[in-house]
Amino acid sequence: MTDVMRIVLSPLVWLASFSAVYGLNGLLCGHGLVDAAVGSLSVQRAILVGAYGLALALQAAILVGLHMPRFASSSGFVRGVSVATGMAGFVAAAWSLMPVLTTSLC
Amino acid sequence: MMATLLALSGCGGPLSMLDPAGPAARDIATLWWVMLVGALLIFVFVLALVVAAFRRPRTAAPTHSPRDEAARERLFVVTLGIAFPVVVLLALLAYGLVIGERLLPRDEPSVVRVDAQARRSTWDFTYPGLGRTSRNVLHIPAGRPVDVAITTADVIHSFWVPRLAGKLDAIPGHINVLRIEADRPGTYSGLSAEFSGPGYSHFKFEVVAHDPAGWADFSEDGTE
Amino acid sequence: MRALERHRKLTAIWSSEPGFRGWFSTVNHTDVGKLFLVTAFVFFLIGGILAMLIRAQLATPHSAFAGPEIYNQIFTMHGTIMMFLFAIPTFEGLAIYLLPKLLGTRDLAYPRLTSYGYWCYLFGGSMLLVSMVLGIAPNGGWFMYPPLTGPIYSPGINTDFWLIGITFVEISAMAAAVELCVSILKYRAPGMSLDKMPIFAWYALVTALMILTGFPPLILGSILLELERAFGLPFFQADLGGDSLLWQHLFWLFGHPEVYIIFLPAAGVISTVLPVMCRTTLLGYGWVVAAAVALAFLSFALWVHHMFTTGIPHMSLALFSAASTLVAVPTGVQIFAWIGTLWKGRPELHLPMLHILGFFVTFVIGGLTGVMVAVVPFDWQVHDTAFVTAHLHYVLFGGFVFPILAGIYYWLPQVTGRKRFFRLGEIAFALIFIGFHLTFLAMHWVGLLGQRRRIDTYLPEDGWTTVNLVSSVGSFIMAMGIAIVILDVVVHVLTATRGPRNPWGAGTLEWAMIIPPPAYNFASLPHVASRDPLADDPDLPLRLARGEGYLGEPREGRRETLMVDVSSGAPEALVVYPANTRLPVAMAAMTGLFFLSLLLKFYWAVPIALAGVAALAWRWVWQLGRSVDEAPAPVGHGITLPSALGADRSPGWWGTSFLLVANGTFFGSLLFGFAFLWTVAPGWPPPALFEASLGEIAVGVAALAVTVAAVESAVRTNRAGGRPLAALLAGLIAVFCVVAVCAVMMARIPAPTEHAYYATLLVLTGYALFHALLTGLMFAFLIARVRAGFTSPSRRAEFTIVSLWTKYLVLTGALVLAACQLPDLFT
Ligand code: HEM
Ligand SMILES: [Cu+2]
Repeated sequence: MTDVMRIVLSPLVWLASFSAVYGLNGLLCGHGLVDAAVGSLSVQRAILVGAYGLALALQAAILVGLHMPRFASSSGFVRGVSVATGMAGFVAAAWSLMPVLTTSLC
Repeated sequence: MMATLLALSGCGGPLSMLDPAGPAARDIATLWWVMLVGALLIFVFVLALVVAAFRRPRTAAPTHSPRDEAARERLFVVTLGIAFPVVVLLALLAYGLVIGERLLPRDEPSVVRVDAQARRSTWDFTYPGLGRTSRNVLHIPAGRPVDVAITTADVIHSFWVPRLAGKLDAIPGHINVLRIEADRPGTYSGLSAEFSGPGYSHFKFEVVAHDPAGWADFSEDGTE
Repeated sequence: MRALERHRKLTAIWSSEPGFRGWFSTVNHTDVGKLFLVTAFVFFLIGGILAMLIRAQLATPHSAFAGPEIYNQIFTMHGTIMMFLFAIPTFEGLAIYLLPKLLGTRDLAYPRLTSYGYWCYLFGGSMLLVSMVLGIAPNGGWFMYPPLTGPIYSPGINTDFWLIGITFVEISAMAAAVELCVSILKYRAPGMSLDKMPIFAWYALVTALMILTGFPPLILGSILLELERAFGLPFFQADLGGDSLLWQHLFWLFGHPEVYIIFLPAAGVISTVLPVMCRTTLLGYGWVVAAAVALAFLSFALWVHHMFTTGIPHMSLALFSAASTLVAVPTGVQIFAWIGTLWKGRPELHLPMLHILGFFVTFVIGGLTGVMVAVVPFDWQVHDTAFVTAHLHYVLFGGFVFPILAGIYYWLPQVTGRKRFFRLGEIAFALIFIGFHLTFLAMHWVGLLGQRRRIDTYLPEDGWTTVNLVSSVGSFIMAMGIAIVILDVVVHVLTATRGPRNPWGAGTLEWAMIIPPPAYNFASLPHVASRDPLADDPDLPLRLARGEGYLGEPREGRRETLMVDVSSGAPEALVVYPANTRLPVAMAAMTGLFFLSLLLKFYWAVPIALAGVAALAWRWVWQLGRSVDEAPAPVGHGITLPSALGADRSPGWWGTSFLLVANGTFFGSLLFGFAFLWTVAPGWPPPALFEASLGEIAVGVAALAVTVAAVESAVRTNRAGGRPLAALLAGLIAVFCVVAVCAVMMARIPAPTEHAYYATLLVLTGYALFHALLTGLMFAFLIARVRAGFTSPSRRAEFTIVSLWTKYLVLTGALVLAACQLPDLFT
């Protein structure tokens, strides 16, 4: 079962962080933080970008973990597949949360 | 295949999104044509790969050595399966987001605002500042951006004038703002585009875009 | 023992009762799988006839074929039947029939559950058919948006048929999903480690996990909408603190994964059949597994792309647009892995291969239009037009029907033991292929010309006449093709030409048995050392029939199989299945009574039905018990294994874990709904917050703590050889305190029909109350077990199961307590 967990961990964490960022933005839009700003940087944008960074860091940590002998699976196959899904999770985080940097907030 | 379709019917028609009459619909029509060409290219490419697999000369027996297998995986999975879609999709996503940003209702001095309220089988339009209302016909000035604030009195509906812009839903308790604009004066057909029960098929309205003189008349005129 | 004698003995042990009676008591996966498939195919035909009616209506403008009242029922039922009564059950049937054979074992994890699922499906589906025959079928479109489907705008019973009937059918999907997860992970041939699993098993595992986490939001939505309709709890009414958007979120939280739940099994069929048709193995097995897993997760973060026009902030749209384009990558990996497989082998144009080619052409187009509608501005135009209808059929027909047809023609010889007689299949394929593309390519075009979906008529001035006519003609060509497929299959089943045992030269285990398959599948279980055991050892069927594998010696009328380690496939325990019984069909009938009394508003019958379900469930579980310890038994190859009943992680433990994953998703969706209404719905804050009560908090927390302590103590006492009656009794009392706290809180909620806040609190506390009662029942069951002498240190499985449920109660109970009480404390 741990082997199955290894395979699904990274996409699962991605799903959680994606939903969290989506919910966070909805919350911030609903509660009038849109116009708050520090200098030229809007507070809402800063929070979202921070969450983006956190999501990437988590994914990176998982990827490193999947490579470490301590956490890696003893089965070569599971190692390969979990690294592939780990990469998928990382790319998914980088890609799907990118609008946080570019798109207008609300 | 698409050619036969094109032959079967043109792109015109009172409700055709491919016959745009405003900036938003035009942006989206362009987007469609770009995507259509891209999709056709990809489709032909994929199909060619499939057909070629059947046409390959069968001189030697297929090899299954780990080295061949790894090379094939690199070619088919990594290059064609991952790298190729990633590049295409990133470009498309960026294009779509840029257009999406451009179509958002933003503050501009020349914007006209109207309120639209749907209820089953009628659209009621009010013109704040003008003290006027109209039913099933929306009056707008041509050549100026118009923000339509959409809501509903009963079930969910959707405000859609295909030749001017995309659609936006009318949802109970919410007000959604859609930016539309007509290049030229004229009459444009509109549809309610969310299923609303019996009567849905005939649930339509019209948008009349006035030239400056006509709009001035409309603004001053008391009743319709 | 000779092979024939072994065959006779095993058949006597495993076979269903003969004749018609056997249908009701069979728990055998081969039988139930076939029942599932045939029933699903009948629903496909009904749905197809409805589709023909739709196309007849739309063939010309001003059609007077059906008025809107009837037409709305037709397209709603078409969509509903195709999605819920054809596609999902087809997957269930296929997986139920195939998996034990592919995995080299004798049955699925819970044979009685297999059968219960089938009856729920049949009864629930029949409810919907009855509504159609009576002309009171659901008519709000297959995604049933309120307020249109709410009590005000749809007062009739039509919508209730959908909400209640589909929830009933969903039970069968959940049952199958739990069962498939456990079966794939724990019930395989010895030696079959994860990397040696047939690729179809991976796909089925991923799909089953998706059903477990995808269906609960819909079940929750259906319950909430039915509560609104029946009792006026205003979850979706904007003027009373509800929001119709909540339904859309819950529905699509299910609805998008649903699409992949339909596609993934079909992809599993392609991955299995295609390599055989090319005389090679699948290219990039590991990549394909990773792609399927990635696809599954990605598909849970796409749901908002069905809501691009609802006025959600552009940032949110952008996030979901990004995720929606991304999902094309793992799909691309699979497509190109299959093409690579074509290149690697020598493709041969047998009939299944034709359908696979049909799949390639159709699905690639569907995928490309899918990427188009993922681009937000384009979706603003085509959303709710015929373009989307066309897209979804390219995906569903291309991505499901063509692969399933390939699968039917591939496995039919395995099912019947015969070979095809006439060559009708090729003609049928050509008609279906041509007809399909005529029908739906045309629909893209009228969509772009402004034709909305779900209209029953249009005007000649609209300019859609020719295209619609072409589309309708196409659909009738396709219908002829389908009719010929049926003819072909019927002829195949009836003609008596024996086929060869492994006609395609496949390497997987379903071909390593006598065909048509015997009730017990394998006379002895193989030891698997590669992904294609049959290719490595063509004599395998013979050796298995001679009893050279595991469990080759039939024992005292017991249906035996092995449980293995999840990762390595090393044999772990000996399982004895229950035999034929009518308990499942009785249980399904009782469940049906429950749903029927809700539907007809005979609320007095609801408690009776619930008590009946509880009583049958009690019997169901009771029958599994043993009054004496089972000694470890030899299973062949010199290995001796203990009984699975003595394991901490028994079959029941595994099933409970997966069921709780689904249950947790349900609860999570409920919390999401609460938070959503609180933050997004107009009409908040409510008139007053629920008044916090320190007394309730104190008693509730204490009672929950005692419950979990009691169950832990009972587990330990039993393992040490004692009779943990005192601990269990203490637990039971504590559970009743939880029940009391929940009841008091429910009674204190002010007017739940006046604000969605109160209505939501009512559902939250009701949820906790239900689980407390359930846990109480389990404690009572354990007490009865201990007193009857059915427990011992090596018969301890039920303790760990109850412990799981108790911990779940404590977790959710504490969250409910917090959600109700804390807001008031902190303001
Ligand atoms: C047998 C050939 C089929 C034909 C000719 C057909 C035709 C149609 C047509 C014309 C509509 C659009 C009605 C409208 O909104 O104007 C429709 C809707 C739909 N179809 Fe099919 N269909 C077929 C098979 C399938 C299959 C196999 C599935 C799913 C597995 C499916 C799922 C749906 C769904 C979900 C809808 C939407 C219903 C709604 O709007 O509520 N169809 N079909
Ligand atoms: Cu979707």
